[in-house]
Amino acid sequence: MSTHNHDTPNPYHDSHRDEAQNKALAERVDKIEALLLEKGLVAQDALDKLADIYENDLGPMNGAKVVARAWVDDEYKKRLLEDATSAIAELGFSGLQGEHMVAVENTPEVHNVVVCTLCSCYPWPVLGLPPSWYKSFAYRSKVVIEPREVLKEFGTTLPDDVEVRVWDSSAEIRYLVIPERPEGTENLSETELADIVNRDSMIGVTKVAAP
Amino acid sequence: MKEERIAKPEIAEMSGPAAIPRKSGEMVFHDDWERKSFTIAVSLAEQGLFEWEEFQSELIASIKEAEGDDPHHPSRGYFESWLISLEKLLDKKLTES
Repeated sequence: MSTHNHDTPNPYHDSHRDEAQNKALAERVDKIEALLLEKGLVAQDALDKLADIYENDLGPMNGAKVVARAWVDDEYKKRLLEDATSAIAELGFSGLQGEHMVAVENTPEVHNVVVCTLCSCYPWPVLGLPPSWYKSFAYRSKVVIEPREVLKEFGTTLPDDVEVRVWDSSAEIRYLVIPERPEGTENLSETELADIVNRDSMIGVTKVAAP
Repeated sequence: MKEERIAKPEIAEMSGPAAIPRKSGEMVFHDDWERKSFTIAVSLAEQGLFEWEEFQSELIASIKEAEGDDPHHPSRGYFESWLISLEKLLDKKLTES
């Protein structure tokens, strides 16, 4: 585990400013804000609302489109399993900041589930914001030791002969689970399929149900 | 996977050097003024004082300047570059009007 690096390589994740620098910067922003409020170009409540919107924005949920494409196109699925970063970029989804994507496929024999045991590494460009349970200590610690029990808590009961694989994310590698395509969806279009793929199934804690 | 979003993807999902710093998806603001400079720029673009692309190219230029030859050790923080871009663009727009 000692080589498991969770320090994100982004140089903007830590602040290196002191109080005085911060104060000077805050004053510059306050000056702009005062000017714009006076000119009626911004409104205080609109600013507060925007902060709320952007900070709680669910983010791009492109993963469902990736899964749906893999379900309908075997060649694409092959590329996705070989090099997920490139296959995802093929659909026009980028935004990864140096992390590599790895796709793992659920089958009747193998069930994959993703965790980040040390913090909350998560593939934002494909899954958006992580759910709070993903970041909880309970999930992070328990899913490695008793994955079947954790899956049961999510309503996913697996037969004993199904192998469960737990993937630990890191700053460099982020996983995407390709859930099994449910029976009875043979006539659905790729777009309709993308609509039934939910976030939890791409983390691997649930299965996708037919609509 | 139908979920509602009201944030603009062209802002929230900027890629390359202008990409908003995030930790596992969540935006990283170190101080209140960072958050405020973020919302001011977004609000002005939404109201049409400038196009988001205009701001974004200022931001990229400012970030590149701070990064110099070493993108891993920029001379100032992301939102400091953001603030400089905002000041420049406002200066331009408010003198124009």
